[in-house]
Amino acid sequence: MSQTREELTLELKKHIVEYLNLLDIKPEEIKDNEPLFGPELGLDSIDSVEMIVLLDREYGIKINNPTEGRTILVDVNTIVDYILANKK
Amino acid sequence: MSRVVVTGIGVVSAIGNDVASNHAQLKRCESGIGKAKHFTSKYVDSLNFAEVKLSNEELKTKLNLTGKKGISRTALLAILAFKEAIHQAGLSQEEIKSYRTGFISSSTVGGMCNTDELYADANLKGTPSEYVGAYGGGEHTLRIIEQFGIKGFTSTINTACSSSANAIMLGSRLIKSGRLDRVIVGGADSLAKYTVNGFNALMILSSNPCKPFDNQRDGLTLGEGAGYLVLERADLSEDKEHLAEVLGYGNANDAFHPSATSDEAFGPCLAMERALESAQITSSQVDYINAHGTGTPNNDVTEMFAFHKTFGTIPPYNSTKSYTGHTLAASGAIESIFSILSMQSNELYPSLNCVDPISTYNTTPIQSLTEADLNIVMSNSFGFGGNCTSVIFSKAARCL
Amino acid sequence: MFITDLKAISPQLTYNAEFLGGEKTSHEDTVYHVIEPDYMEFIPKGLLRRMGKAVRMGVGAGLPLVKKHADLDGVIIGTANGGLEDCIKFLNQIVEYDEGTLTPTNFVQSTPNAVAGQLALMGENRGYNITYTNGGTSFENALLDALLLFEEGTNKKLLIGGIEEISDYNYNIDSLSHKYKKEIVKDTELIDSTTPGTVCGEGAALFVVENNADSYLAQIKDVAQITYPNEEDITQCLIEMLNRHDLKLTDIDSVMLGYNGDIDHNSWYEYIENALLVHSNSYSFKNLIGDYRTCTSFATWLATHMLNGETSFNKHIARRVSNTDAPKNILIYNHFDTVRHGFILMTK
Repeated sequence: MSQTREELTLELKKHIVEYLNLLDIKPEEIKDNEPLFGPELGLDSIDSVEMIVLLDREYGIKINNPTEGRTILVDVNTIVDYILANKK
Repeated sequence: MSRVVVTGIGVVSAIGNDVASNHAQLKRCESGIGKAKHFTSKYVDSLNFAEVKLSNEELKTKLNLTGKKGISRTALLAILAFKEAIHQAGLSQEEIKSYRTGFISSSTVGGMCNTDELYADANLKGTPSEYVGAYGGGEHTLRIIEQFGIKGFTSTINTACSSSANAIMLGSRLIKSGRLDRVIVGGADSLAKYTVNGFNALMILSSNPCKPFDNQRDGLTLGEGAGYLVLERADLSEDKEHLAEVLGYGNANDAFHPSATSDEAFGPCLAMERALESAQITSSQVDYINAHGTGTPNNDVTEMFAFHKTFGTIPPYNSTKSYTGHTLAASGAIESIFSILSMQSNELYPSLNCVDPISTYNTTPIQSLTEADLNIVMSNSFGFGGNCTSVIFSKAARCL
Repeated sequence: MFITDLKAISPQLTYNAEFLGGEKTSHEDTVYHVIEPDYMEFIPKGLLRRMGKAVRMGVGAGLPLVKKHADLDGVIIGTANGGLEDCIKFLNQIVEYDEGTLTPTNFVQSTPNAVAGQLALMGENRGYNITYTNGGTSFENALLDALLLFEEGTNKKLLIGGIEEISDYNYNIDSLSHKYKKEIVKDTELIDSTTPGTVCGEGAALFVVENNADSYLAQIKDVAQITYPNEEDITQCLIEMLNRHDLKLTDIDSVMLGYNGDIDHNSWYEYIENALLVHSNSYSFKNLIGDYRTCTSFATWLATHMLNGETSFNKHIARRVSNTDAPKNILIYNHFDTVRHGFILMTK
């Protein structure tokens, strides 16, 4: 059975918490449209690289460099959109 | 206070196995960056490296260590450059083994160049490898201490890419304090899957040979090598040729990010300012800068900003990483040696691969082999963890 | 130089006051793990999430000092291995993903200078910053650098420390070199053990040191080190250090020795204890924390408290005590694997 968008979104949030080792944050607490690199979550350049690895390992999606990544890694919604469009 | 002079230098890098061949290739303006022949990794076909041309077996043969087990490539490179340096300085056995002779080395990779063996040993897979005792950053230092019988103060530094620059600084300070009469300082690093994959994971490796200070630069090229300088008290070494004097040094922390320099280049500026102050000179007296110049987008723009802020009118500068790649911990020592060679020969070597230079400050790196009257030179090294060090050398007051 | 503040995370309850109040933690294993504070109470989560154990411990002990002393003008750390757990995690990734797409955090955090870098970052400290990775004399290197800086007059107040972590991996590598005991020994029986091998410890001890202080806890007067010495070298090394302060061997009232339960390591300590410093009170410390390359940072922490009249732990560390007056000076002598030897001279 294929995954719904909601299921994929929650799964992605779980991966984000795991890969970035976000202490004290539950996956469901991350808002879908919250800017990842904004003041709330406060991610930085190393996290953007970690996210690129996450997308490769979990979804088979290759992003070649952080510049390309910047348009995709805006918030959970934009990443889910990209996964749905490109997942192998 | 005592003056500190350089009486011996030794270097092995992608552009030569000794000082003379390194110098010759600098004069020919030829890079040592290309495809690796000895190093094994998934990336040897897709990436360029600045590899030392000798294999481990060839290094062992040269060093009469054939058949010896458990010596890492880092240690082999270190011993080769160390031997050249002490030979040039004419250190006697008595001097090497004196309590007044110290040794300060540095390495980031250390024995971890034996990545596959480290993986197996750390995970207790199979029988223990010959390198079990050789992985630590300080192990190559011990090898040299044991082989040459060094009894004085010894140390190993790891401040990433500024390590051997810090070794030069500490060695000079120990001589000035009166604790030592002479000290061999420097560092060594070899190509390793650990660093290749680490920099690749940070996406700061270029798939082309690095282009320091070029607008199209997109990352660094990894190199390997070793460089050592023999520092001595000037008044105790008057019978020897003084290659240069260590005029000043400065160390600062950028305190901004683990693997990137601040836009305001606090660390680089402070390191250079402190070096100038320690040398008791003004910025206008610096004739040449051997830049850190890795070729990453972040380093080169922040370093240029630091030049502008510190010097106003920026002196001639290049990045010899365009010849040797980034030799990590060894870079401070190797590039200090190149600065001294430049100064001794009154020559400036071009910064290679810089076709479209950053032109924000109306200046470009050295474009071609140029004669110049060089009396005071600066060498910069900026590393992960915000560690920034700058060392200043001058022509020795007296040369034989 | 003057120690004016300190903090230690160790296999004893040293982070707060319980250990000094007499509470000793027993260990009966070949590894003595640290007792850690709840880091989330004071290390920002955004930074803590990336930290491997060595960095957590170093920051855990160092950050309170950084916050309390806003005028620190440098950071000097000694750590032989740094974040080896992170290092090996990265290596495992290299092998398991066949050098494919890898996560960089482990790599960045594994560099031994990550602790000094992190402390500088968190304290916005742009002063002198360096990390020594010289095996068993990494902490001694850090001490000498600090003494030099004060002599040179460039600095007034430094943060210095020694840190080492245990991970399965570095334990495995050292155990392949037969470093650890094959049998389990109680900590109370460790020092007098007659078998080869020691136990693996870990910890972080950080100090604020100043070039001048009206009120201070202890002084570090000097440090000396030598590698692959013979008996004559060790004797000369110690005597020369004492001479620099117009001291004779008989002036040392207490010596803290790095006996670690490995019978093959004892002869050096016996020589110092019974030949050179036969008049001194003698103490051990590795029965409290195990052995690791920068453990003299813990010995320094302990000696500082002894010089301040703390005695609650004396019964755990005393070897030969004939003079019950509070110590006026303490010499710490240690070697790691009989190769790198160090002396630290402390006074009140």
